[in-house]
Amino acid sequence: MRALVLGVGAVGSRVARQLLSGGSVEELLLVDDDLSVAEEAAHSLGPPAEALTVNALRQETRVERFRERCAGLDLVVLTAPTDHRAFAEAALSSGCHVVSTSDDLETVQELLALDPVATNANRSLVVGAGFSPGLTCLLARHGASQLDVIDEIHVAKFGTGGPACARQHHKALRSDGLDWRNQRWEKRRGGSGRALCWFPDPVGGLDCYEAALADPVLMLAGFPEVVRSSARVAATRRDRSTKWLPMLRRPHPEGMIGAIRVELRGWQKEVRSAIVLGALDRPAAAAGTVAALAGRWAVDGRFTRTGSGGLSVVVGDTIAMLDELAALGVRAAVFEGARSDFV
Amino acid sequence: MLLTLRRSIIAVAAAGLAAAFVRSRGNPDTPPQDGGWRELTGPELK
Repeated sequence: MRALVLGVGAVGSRVARQLLSGGSVEELLLVDDDLSVAEEAAHSLGPPAEALTVNALRQETRVERFRERCAGLDLVVLTAPTDHRAFAEAALSSGCHVVSTSDDLETVQELLALDPVATNANRSLVVGAGFSPGLTCLLARHGASQLDVIDEIHVAKFGTGGPACARQHHKALRSDGLDWRNQRWEKRRGGSGRALCWFPDPVGGLDCYEAALADPVLMLAGFPEVVRSSARVAATRRDRSTKWLPMLRRPHPEGMIGAIRVELRGWQKEVRSAIVLGALDRPAAAAGTVAALAGRWAVDGRFTRTGSGGLSVVVGDTIAMLDELAALGVRAAVFEGARSDFV
Repeated sequence: MLLTLRRSIIAVAAAGLAAAFVRSRGNPDTPPQDGGWRELTGPELK
């Protein structure tokens, strides 16, 4: 496999390491705006990792240089914080499968709109292939197989990965979230709609709030039958009270432990049922693992279809993917023994 | 000046009392006391 990873931060470096540790990688290009960062990562990983940059003053030149580097590659993983649409189009036009780890709501919507481009190219464009969204979509698809009918999906997440993820968390709380209710999108003010969500131990119960998160959009693409879908993020008082300000201090290079929680509600044998799945991990590490595995599945043609979509759309054999993730250290959990009370 | 100061102190005290009242009342519902997380296991990962 010949692969390129764009953005060598907390997630991108994990993606590169996972791709190499999976074997059969003949060429691995690490592309970053800061060449010294890419070089450091390439040196740490060793051959066949190679560092380069596509920096240019004009965005068009930058994308064109990127397109040239994509020629002859099988896979492009986008982990940089911006410009996923332009880079995804360039990579698809070069015949590469593309995996994006972006959790930005607008970016995810733009990438989903590239479905005709990816379908025409007969390539996969996996959107939101990280911890949340990403693993959340996979867990939703897995949990869905245990219910006869699904009508609600609610996601909550806690924790951030690298600095770009922390900035995105800040931006998401500042922006309006989208909830799917009764066949239409409803805007929810970021930082509103508090709900106490229980995450896998030792994280436990945390107050979570509405924010501009991409999960509901990706869930709806995978489960068009649902009548309610929402996503919330755990936030502190300081997060909410300072959301309208620029970040007051420099984001941490790597976040602490994070967690996700996916609640599916529906019917099973004419009885109202709920399934709650979750995971606990370092968000950047888990996102890197999910993205690398998604890329490998795309190249191996193991997804149910080509085109653009989240993991809830393109993964058919969820057990196989969860098994492979568990072997790589990303383990899912189920909450049981108590009635769900997510409102 | 003194009147403004006195009014401010009264306003802050009233707000503090109201906040203490709301906080001490709390929510009568207790969080779930049973149930727990376990790793997905088995061939079906259930």
